[in-house]
Amino acid sequence: MSIGLVSAAYVVAAILFILALGGLSNQEKAKRAIWYGIIGMALAIVATVAGPGVANLPLIVVMIAIGGIAGWFVAKKVQMTQMPELVAGFHSLVGLAAVFIGINAHLEMERALAAKGTGTAAELAGFAATIAKKTPVELGILKVELFLGILIGAITFTGSIIAYGKLAGKLSSNALTLPGRHAINLAAFAACFILGFLYLDGAGLWTMILVAIIAGLIGCHLILAIGGADMPVVVSMLNSYSGWAAAAIGFTLGNDLLIVVGALVGASGAILSYIMCKGMNRSFVSVILGGWGGSTGGAQQEVEGEMIPTNVDTVVQQLDDADSVVFVPGYGLAVAQAQGAVSELTKKLRAKGKEVRFAIHPVAGRLPGHMNVLLAEAKVPYDYVLEMEEINDDFPETDFVMILGANDIVNPSAQDDPNSPIAGMPVLEVWKAKNVVISKRGQGKGYSGVENPLFFKDNSRMLYGDAKDSLDAILKQMD
Amino acid sequence: MGMKVGIPKETGAEEKRVALTPETAGRIQKLGYDLQIESGAGEAANFSDDAYRDAGVEVLPNADAIWSGADIVMKVQQPSMEEAAKLQAGKTLISFIWPAQNEDLVARLKAQNPHAVLAMDQVPRISRAQKLDALSSMANIAGYRAVVEAANNFGRFFTGQVTAAGKVPPAKVLVIGAGVAGLAAIGAARSMGAIVRSFDIRPEVAEQIESMGAEFLFLDFDNTDSGTEGGYAKPSSPEFREKQLELFRAQAPDVDIVITTALIPGRPAPELWTKDMVEAMKPGSVIVDLAAEQGGNCALTVKGERVVTPNDVTIIGYTDMASRMAAQSSQLYGTNLRHMLDDLTPEKDGQPVVNMEDAVLRGCTVIKDGEVTYPPPAVSTSVAPKAAAPKKVEETAEEKAAREAAELRKAGGRTTMLLVVGSVLLLALGMVAPQSFMQHFIVFVLACFVGFYVIWNVAHSLHTPLMAITNAVSSIIIVGALLQIGSSNTLVMILAALSILMASVNIFGGFLVTRRMLAMFQKS
Repeated sequence: MSIGLVSAAYVVAAILFILALGGLSNQEKAKRAIWYGIIGMALAIVATVAGPGVANLPLIVVMIAIGGIAGWFVAKKVQMTQMPELVAGFHSLVGLAAVFIGINAHLEMERALAAKGTGTAAELAGFAATIAKKTPVELGILKVELFLGILIGAITFTGSIIAYGKLAGKLSSNALTLPGRHAINLAAFAACFILGFLYLDGAGLWTMILVAIIAGLIGCHLILAIGGADMPVVVSMLNSYSGWAAAAIGFTLGNDLLIVVGALVGASGAILSYIMCKGMNRSFVSVILGGWGGSTGGAQQEVEGEMIPTNVDTVVQQLDDADSVVFVPGYGLAVAQAQGAVSELTKKLRAKGKEVRFAIHPVAGRLPGHMNVLLAEAKVPYDYVLEMEEINDDFPETDFVMILGANDIVNPSAQDDPNSPIAGMPVLEVWKAKNVVISKRGQGKGYSGVENPLFFKDNSRMLYGDAKDSLDAILKQMD
Repeated sequence: MGMKVGIPKETGAEEKRVALTPETAGRIQKLGYDLQIESGAGEAANFSDDAYRDAGVEVLPNADAIWSGADIVMKVQQPSMEEAAKLQAGKTLISFIWPAQNEDLVARLKAQNPHAVLAMDQVPRISRAQKLDALSSMANIAGYRAVVEAANNFGRFFTGQVTAAGKVPPAKVLVIGAGVAGLAAIGAARSMGAIVRSFDIRPEVAEQIESMGAEFLFLDFDNTDSGTEGGYAKPSSPEFREKQLELFRAQAPDVDIVITTALIPGRPAPELWTKDMVEAMKPGSVIVDLAAEQGGNCALTVKGERVVTPNDVTIIGYTDMASRMAAQSSQLYGTNLRHMLDDLTPEKDGQPVVNMEDAVLRGCTVIKDGEVTYPPPAVSTSVAPKAAAPKKVEETAEEKAAREAAELRKAGGRTTMLLVVGSVLLLALGMVAPQSFMQHFIVFVLACFVGFYVIWNVAHSLHTPLMAITNAVSSIIIVGALLQIGSSNTLVMILAALSILMASVNIFGGFLVTRRMLAMFQKS
């Protein structure tokens, strides 16, 4: 395949990728969109392998086969509730690959320059051959790109591993706030850039390896400092990083496809993070820097009163009496694996002619759209599943609201209490409904650690216990 | 092996209640406890020893066997000094104690060095504790019984009738104090057909009074500090008291039956029905004073006695109303005790845990590990009305238009700024960078813009699939590794091969997971 043909294939692949991402604008189109992505990827790989300067085909095939089988296996086996950590884990692979490719680029560059020095440049093939033709200025730029690729790749790698650990519950999801953490980050970045300058000045591979190690530590520290409720933003931010790393590598290798796709992924991750931060009314910067942003300048309102418990019998009675029911799922639903039970309950209530709907807050769960995926898995039709803006006005006419493992997203203090850490965050106004039942494991606070006055309201009742057990008990009573 | 719970026969004169019924026995056994009862303990409440045996309760011949054998002793009335002396070290006693009125008893119990003493009269008045609120269950019975006693001593019908033998006017009943007992009395009197009026110093209970079918006697008085203390009425000011008595004085000649239930915990009962009011009542009228134990609301009440005044008004000062309905009150009190054990035994293994962190158990515990823990720290019950949130100012159409225009201008200004800064930066870059770089850079910037516009349109519910698919797509980095694997340098080849491996995990895993997710979305 000639260079011209390869480039043509790359253009087609790039367009297919854009269509794949753009196709996610609605559920029906999305199923087709994924095929665009798969074809684009296949085209890109085949064109590259068939193109000039690529050798070792058997090794390539073996590696892709092993990786493919492993990926297939993991993706088949994973539970839908484990999606967030799976995506985070996958990101780390891209980050590490970026670091490896960056180091490779350096090794190839040294080899090409050495060959040039001895006059054997003509024997070089592939990437080394292109480097040999570069001018000194171009080589300088190459080094900068290489440095950026390694830096971002290493941050993505370790950051994703930490994110995986937090989401999988293997690490505490609390924000780690070391004293002077901003200073630590700044110092580490400064060290990286100093090493970068040394590298530009002609220092060897060791500078880049040091950069990879320091950047890895930055990645760990950055993500460790971000609290659990911000994890959705973190995952999409790491997604963005993995894109930028690919783009930087694309510059290094002079490959436009890598640049286009890397930029596409980088931009989409960044926008997604931004959309989510807006959903929580938080500034993007304060999320990435970790912890709950800044001082709130004043004491939070004290919550008075008591939480009144209820029981399954009463809830069944209330469900029977209600004409309109809204379920508000949160992360607790995912933890309890209760999506099947709630779907069953929805069917039963619908069969009795009641209006049953789901209200989804933009940041419910640990990934954007997490709840939609869970409910879809349990075969809850997506036209019953409404977004916050669609349903918020309907709460005053709703007879019965059941909160399933959600907390901060239904916290009225976001509207009432200007000193609350979540003040100004848009929330589901469930307290306007006639009756609210909160299914909750204990009396604890939400992920943000903020007291929730909803639980103390006159029309609120607490149904303590695991969400799945409670729903199963309700289902049994309904029969 | 669960602990033993023992129930001795009540020793108080005239006390007919018992702390365990065959029905509650079964429930308590489910908590893992073994039960023992003194022979004849339930006789007065119509529960035979055989009924207990059938329920699996061991019947022991005398009280000493219970006090020495059981780990937890449950009683109705506060223990006498003799009984207190039988409480053994390390054991637990659950019963009425009235620690404020019985300091000697508490000191005596403390000297026995018990594990814990729980007072059923000290259950905090919060919703969660309602199921073990023995005072409420006893008050409910007392209120009902008060009406029955009144009817028994009243020579006429409660309900009005028009018969062939003439018209009978309905009886008029005044209930003073609308707590649990008062409300129960209202309910009972109403269902017998009487006209019921009621008064309480807490204006907020008017609704409850009316819901029971009685007329609330309204007192026009600016009483700012009325209200409650731990769920009970507080003492009132002298001026208020005067007003109140005036109101009652006006009622006295009119009503046939007066039931008084006004109590303030830890204090003598307030005198609300004075001698002159009794004298003003019609002959044959009846007064039932449920506060007789604490001195009585009526000036002429004799504690524990039925007296008839010279003007033929019967005043009933019985203090054992609940005991007079022993079967019912034992059943309710037994259930309260059962709930108490339920709270004490979170593991249902027959091992009580006196958790002092639990507000309810903390409130009930009078002695714990040989230390007096009464009085407990205050528990706030009623929800204080919160200051209303500042109302959002509704903006008019013009204001809205003006604001939107301003926002648009601001956004426009920001965009212009960004464009200018961006262009300058690009120009600066173009001056130093070689052409080969700039070509790639144009591609990069355009791709960023495409990504930016494409993602805004993605449906919110598809954000997770979006993330999964961008993850899969980002493994395009495999192309870089493919370009390098042909190198003759072994290290480069190995690293490139590893990168290919990792990227392919991502490609296959990412796309497959996305497909799985999208396949699940379905329309109804």
